[in-house]
Order: sequence, then structure tokens, then C-alpha cells
Amino acid sequence: MSFDSSPILRQKPTLDREALRDVIDLSLWAGQLLLQHGAESARIEETVHRLGTGLGANWMDVLVSPNAIAVTTVSGDEFRTKIRRVVAISVNLRIIDEVNTVSRWVQTGGLDRFQVRKAFERIDHLPRQYDRRVVVLMVGLACAAFSRLFGGDWPVFFITFLASATAMWIRQQLMKRYFNSLLVVIVVAFVSGLIASLATRLELSPHPQIALIAAPLLLVPGVHLINAAEDLIKGHLVTGIVRGFTGGLVTLGIAIGLGLAMRLMGVWI
Amino acid sequence: MNIIDFIGLLVQDAIWSAAAAVGFGILFNVPRRALLGCAIGGALGHATRTCLMEFGVIIEISTLIGSTVIGFYGLVMARRYEMPVAMFTISAAVTMVPGVFAFRTMMGMLEISSADPETASLALVTAASNGIKTGLILGAIAIGIAAPALIFERPKPVV
Repeated sequence: MSFDSSPILRQKPTLDREALRDVIDLSLWAGQLLLQHGAESARIEETVHRLGTGLGANWMDVLVSPNAIAVTTVSGDEFRTKIRRVVAISVNLRIIDEVNTVSRWVQTGGLDRFQVRKAFERIDHLPRQYDRRVVVLMVGLACAAFSRLFGGDWPVFFITFLASATAMWIRQQLMKRYFNSLLVVIVVAFVSGLIASLATRLELSPHPQIALIAAPLLLVPGVHLINAAEDLIKGHLVTGIVRGFTGGLVTLGIAIGLGLAMRLMGVWI
Repeated sequence: MNIIDFIGLLVQDAIWSAAAAVGFGILFNVPRRALLGCAIGGALGHATRTCLMEFGVIIEISTLIGSTVIGFYGLVMARRYEMPVAMFTISAAVTMVPGVFAFRTMMGMLEISSADPETASLALVTAASNGIKTGLILGAIAIGIAAPALIFERPKPVV
């Protein structure tokens, strides 16, 4: 069998040592940004592959694991393999969008490796678009909207808003101080439960329990759980199982925090 | 229920799920220009699900159809705005995540530790049935929003 038919040796100029080092470094960086901020595994593989081959490698092999990414670049007879450890931080879809845009430009030949490095440096230091206070208000509103979807009336709506907004504010304060994220979930669920149970204690509505159900929804690990199921469907079983388990642990944390608050306040769902 | 009440219900459902989608979009730091798209996606998907459930379709199937609507809507918007599909689908689909069922599963699991065997066995059943429901709904959401990719992008295995 001749090598010409192999996709690995489709003719591209061989990269020198320095260029190959940059290609693997940049594609790992892209993968790290995506994994940290909540992209699903198939997207990470695709984007890293696209970026590396766009920058001149003949082939990229990408391994996405729950907390590390390994990449092998091939160029001519040379190859390099590198692993980078990744710690998931928080969901940030803007960063995923920006990295995706860069990888598209690279693929159409619009960016070289020096420009890509600059672009990633910018993306890495991108501030959050929304002010903390806006986030608190809107997350409160989102949970209050859920209380309406569950059939709650206006008093329940306002209690849910108060509970979720306060809970979100406390969550921001605790996350800023780098507390363990599961601990934060328990505390925040506890606080939201305390405030939401006021609806029952003060007899504000015929169905006050809805506030207790809707208030802690800001903590539900929706992205983790959706990504988990999507990874499993697309054959990324290891990342899928780990993400599902993480989502389960967070949900358990919510149940513990809310359960404690309900016992303390003497209310039941 | 007459037709006017029914439409009123759907409109209310759409408005509140749009609000929820925007709130979660802001929490997930969705780019500003995609926020309106998230709101419409959330409204479309959730109202579709509510509509089907009013007609007596079970929640799993309704969620599957609702999230398929979100999936195809996301594909259209992604082409139009040149953004990844996830910008529009994730926060829209979060409105359908079975938070309540997941929470009941965990409450049931904690209650299994109860000393009274009667309560414990009841809690076991609660935990199991809610857990399976959570899993099925999540699977339905994932299949739905991945539907365009599963149908149109079928890369031939290269290795």
C-alpha cells in the first residue's frame, strides 16, 4: 500500500520544530478553553482538530478526558504528543463562541500561528459581559419565571425571586473566595430554601410549596447534564459518565441543603 | 377548555420560559447578540412541550419533540449568526431540564436511610421512579438538540 492514499500524508509542507511546537501548544490551549467552559466532547475534538490541521499539521489525534486533554500532531515524519490538565471552572458560552470563530478563520487560512496566539491571549482575559448585579437580578427572574411555569401565583413569584436572587448573590460571594463548589451548592440551596419556606410559614398562597421547588433551580447543573447525555449519545462514554456523575453530585448537594432548610423551618413539599 | 383559554395558556408559557431562558443565558454568559435567540428558542421549545402535554402526550415524548424543535431552530440561528449551535440550544433547553424530578430522586435517596421500613421502601420507589424519569427526560433533551447533527452530519470514520 502506498502512503499517498493515507490522509496523514496528504501533501503539506513539513513544519519545522518551532512551528510544530506552536501548533500543539495552540491547539491544546483551544481545547483547554473549551473544556473549562462547558463544551461537549465532540465539539472539542472537532475544533482542536480543525485548528491544528488549519495551522499546518497533517493530522491531529485528540483525546478528551474529563480533566485532561491529550493531543498528538503529525507533520511529515515528525510528531509530538502533549497532555494538558484541565480543571472545569464555570459555564461560559461566550468563550466557546470566540474559540470557535478563531478556529474557523484558521481553517480558511485567515490567521497564522502568531495571530492565533494573540487571539487566545485576548479570549483568556475576556471579562464577563454582564455585571454581577445584572446576573443576580436575571437569575432571580429566571427562577421566578419557573415558579409561574409550575403554576404559582404572584406572591410565590416574588418570594421565589427574593430567594433565588439572594442565593445567587451568596453563590457569587462564595465562588469569589474559591470555596469548594459542592460546599457552595449545599450552602446556597440551604439559603434559598430558608427564604422560599417563608411562603409557607407566612401563608401567602394556596400553593406555597412551588416557591421551594423553583427557588433552588438556579443550581441545577443543566449544562453538565445535557452535555453528559450528548456525550453518551455521540460515543464519548467516559466524559459522559463523569459529567453525569458530577451533575448527580450537585443535585445531591441541592437536596441536602434544601432538606436541611425545610427541616429547620418545619415545612414540607 | 376552550380555544382562547388554551392559546392564553400557551402564550403565558412561552413568555415565562423565554424569561427563564434569558436568565440562564446571562448566567452562562451567552454573547449579547445571541440572547434574543435564546429567548425565542426557549419559548418555542417549552411551548411545544406544554402544548403536547395538554393533549395528553407523556412528558418524555413531549420533551423529545420540544427539544427537537430547539435543535433545528438552533441550526437555523447558528447559520444566520455564524455561531456554534450551543449558543442557542443550551440555555433554551435548560428550561426543560427536569430539576424537580432530579431533586425528588435525591430527596427519596436520602429518605431511604429512614429507620421505619415502611417509609424507607416508599422512598426507594419514589427515588427509583423519579430517577428513571430524570434520565429519560435528559436523554430526550440531548437527542432532540443533537438531532440535526445526528441526521445531517454523519462523518465517515477515518481511523
